[in-house]
Amino acid sequence: MPDDRDPARADPRDDAARAADHAGIDRLAGTLVPALIAKLGTLNVGELEVHEGDWRIRLRRPAGAVSTHGRRATDRPSRTHPGHDQHGHAPASPEPHRTARSVPGAAAAATNGSGGPGLAAVGPGRSDGSVTGGGRDSGAGSGGSDRVATSPAVGVFQPGAKTVAGTRVRAGDRLGVVDMLGVPQEVVAPIDGIVVGVIVDAGTAVEYGQELVHLEPAVAAEGR
Amino acid sequence: MFHKILIANRGEIALRILRACRTLGVEAVVAYSEADRDSLPVQLADEAICIGPADARRSYLSAPAVISAAIVTGCDAVHPGYGFLSEDETFAEVVGAHDLTFIGPPPPVLDRFASKEGTRRLLGSYGLPTIPGSDGMLRDDEHALAEAARIGYPVLIKPSAGGGGKGMRMVRTPRELDSAIKVCRSEARSAFGDDSLYLEKWLDDNRHVEVQVAVDRYGHGVHLGERDCSVQRRHQKILEEAPTPALSPAARADLCDRAIRAVVAAGYENVGTLEFLVDGAGDFYFIEINCRIQVEHPVTEMLTGIDLVATQIRIAAGEPLGFSQADVQFRGHAIEFRINAEDPAHDFRPGAGVVEAFHTPGGPGIRMDSHLYPGYEVPPFYDSLLGKLIAWGPDRATAIQRGRAALDELVVDGLTTNVEIHKALLLNETFLDGRMTTNLLDRIGSAAFLAAAART
Repeated sequence: MPDDRDPARADPRDDAARAADHAGIDRLAGTLVPALIAKLGTLNVGELEVHEGDWRIRLRRPAGAVSTHGRRATDRPSRTHPGHDQHGHAPASPEPHRTARSVPGAAAAATNGSGGPGLAAVGPGRSDGSVTGGGRDSGAGSGGSDRVATSPAVGVFQPGAKTVAGTRVRAGDRLGVVDMLGVPQEVVAPIDGIVVGVIVDAGTAVEYGQELVHLEPAVAAEGR
Repeated sequence: MFHKILIANRGEIALRILRACRTLGVEAVVAYSEADRDSLPVQLADEAICIGPADARRSYLSAPAVISAAIVTGCDAVHPGYGFLSEDETFAEVVGAHDLTFIGPPPPVLDRFASKEGTRRLLGSYGLPTIPGSDGMLRDDEHALAEAARIGYPVLIKPSAGGGGKGMRMVRTPRELDSAIKVCRSEARSAFGDDSLYLEKWLDDNRHVEVQVAVDRYGHGVHLGERDCSVQRRHQKILEEAPTPALSPAARADLCDRAIRAVVAAGYENVGTLEFLVDGAGDFYFIEINCRIQVEHPVTEMLTGIDLVATQIRIAAGEPLGFSQADVQFRGHAIEFRINAEDPAHDFRPGAGVVEAFHTPGGPGIRMDSHLYPGYEVPPFYDSLLGKLIAWGPDRATAIQRGRAALDELVVDGLTTNVEIHKALLLNETFLDGRMTTNLLDRIGSAAFLAAAART
C-alpha cells in the first residue's frame, strides 16, 4: 500500500511517528480493507467509508464492474484452473489472500487526515471507527457509480416489459422476476434512477445475487 | 450412473462429496450461500452456484433454492450431505417430483424411518432390543410427566427430527423435566422445524456404539462394522473410533449381524447408521437410525477400504452393491478427531475468524478431511467443524500414538480450536483403557478435564 501523503508537504516528523504511520497503514490494509471488501460485497451500496483516528478508508466498486462473483454455473468455460478463472476473489493458493496487499474486486485507498490525491474530502476523521454505507449520497457526485439490481433467488430471469434502457424507476419498483420452481421472485430497483441496461438475457438461468439490471442514480442522471 | 450431481452442503462434507463424484467420473455442482463464496469446495468445484444469503433458512435449508439450482444447472441428482436437508423426507419427495434423484434412501423409505419413535417400534419388531421410552410423541407437559414417571428417572428428552444434540436434555426430576421440555421444543422447532419430542430411559454409564450398514435397491445388504462414539460433550460427538473397545469381537459380530438383518427385513435402502446404547453389562439397545452419510464415516473407510460416499451415490443410482459381507474385511483400528472452532477451556464456546496458517499432518495411516486453507475466513453462521483428523494403525495403541503425533503436527493458527481436548483425551487413563462412557467429559467439565491432563 503506497503512502499517499503529498510529497510537497515536507514531513518534519521523526522516524517513530513515520513508523507508527506505516504500522497503521499495514494494519488497515491487512485487517480492515479485507473486512470492508467483504462488507461491500454483501451490501447494495457502491461505496463504503471508515474513519479511525486520523485515518480513513474509502472503498468503491470499480465503475462498470460486472461482478465480484465466483464462477457461475451458467458460465461454461474450461475449468482447468479452478480458483483462477474469472474470480473476483483470491484463489485458494497458499497465499494468504485476506492479508494480501493487493485488493481484488474493489478500489481501495488509505490516506491520512490531510487528504490524499484523488480522494474527495470527507470531513475530519472521527475516532470511533464507525463504518458508514456512503453509497447513495457521497458516491453520487464522484461519478462511475451505476447501481445494479441483483437476483433475489436462483432460477430463470424474465425482465419486465418496461425494463429497457432509459426507463425511469423508483426504489422498490419491480424490474422483472426470477422464476424459482414456478414461484416468481421479484427483482426490485435498489434506488431511484434510470435503467441503463439489462445485463442478462430473458430466460437465462441466474444465481442468487447475480447482477441483472444496471441503473443510473436519479441524482447523477439529472445532473447531466 | 448420474450425469451431474448438485452438492447441497458446505464445508468438509461438500469437499468429500466432490471427491467421490470425481472418483466416479460424475460432474458436480457445488451449491453455496453468499457466506461461502470463498470456500474451498466452491473454488475446487467443476461448477458452483450461489443459492441464497448466509442465513441457512434461505440457502442450505431452502428446498426451492436447492432444487431450482439443480434444475438450472442440469443436474439429475442432489446430494444433501449431513445436517441441513439430509433427512427431510418432504425435501426428498419434492426432489423426486422434479425428476431428480435424492442421494439417500428413496422418499418412501425415508418416510418409513422418519419418526425416531416409530423406527424404534419397527426395528424392535425385527428383533432389535430397544431402550424403554415414551409411548409415542409427547402430547403435552402432563403426558410428558406421566410417561417419565412410568419409565423412571433419569430420562432423556429427544426431538423426533434431526440430530447433533439439539433439542436434547437429560433430566433427573419432574421439575427439571418441566422446564427443560420448553427449551427442547423451541430448540427443535428452530433447528428442524418440528418440535415433536419423546422420552427415552437414560442410562448413566452408557456407551454409544453405532453400526454402519449399506443396502442396495435389491435388498442386498452388508454391515461395515461398528463405531464407538462414546466421547461426547453434551450429546455431541467429538471423537469416534472403530472397533469399539466396549465389546468383545463376538459381541460386536452379534450386534452388527442383528442390525443388518433387522434393517434389510424392514426394507431400508442406501447407507445408514443404527445407533445403540451399550450399558455396563454389555447389553445393547437400539435408539435411532441415521438415514444419511455421517460425519464419522471415514473411521469405517479406514478399516474397510470402502468409499462410503461413492457407495451411497452408486446405490441411489440403482446399482447393485457389488460386494457381499464376506468381501468386507476389517483391518486395524482407526480414531477420528473432530477439529472444531470452539474453546474447550470456555464451555466449548464456538468461534469464527481467519485461518492465518494451516498445516495438515501426514505420515502412515493419517488422513485429514478439511476445507480450510490459509487465509480462509470461517463464517460465524454455521457449525464449528473445521475438519476431521483420522489416525489408523494396525492396533489401537498404534492408532493412538499416530493420533498423538498428528495432533501435535496439526497447525490451525488464527482460531481457537478444540485440539487440546483431544490431546488431553489421549492422556486420560479411562480413554486409554477403552472404558470411556458418554459422560466422560461432562461429568467433570472440560476445563477440569484439561487441567487434569496438564498435571499428568
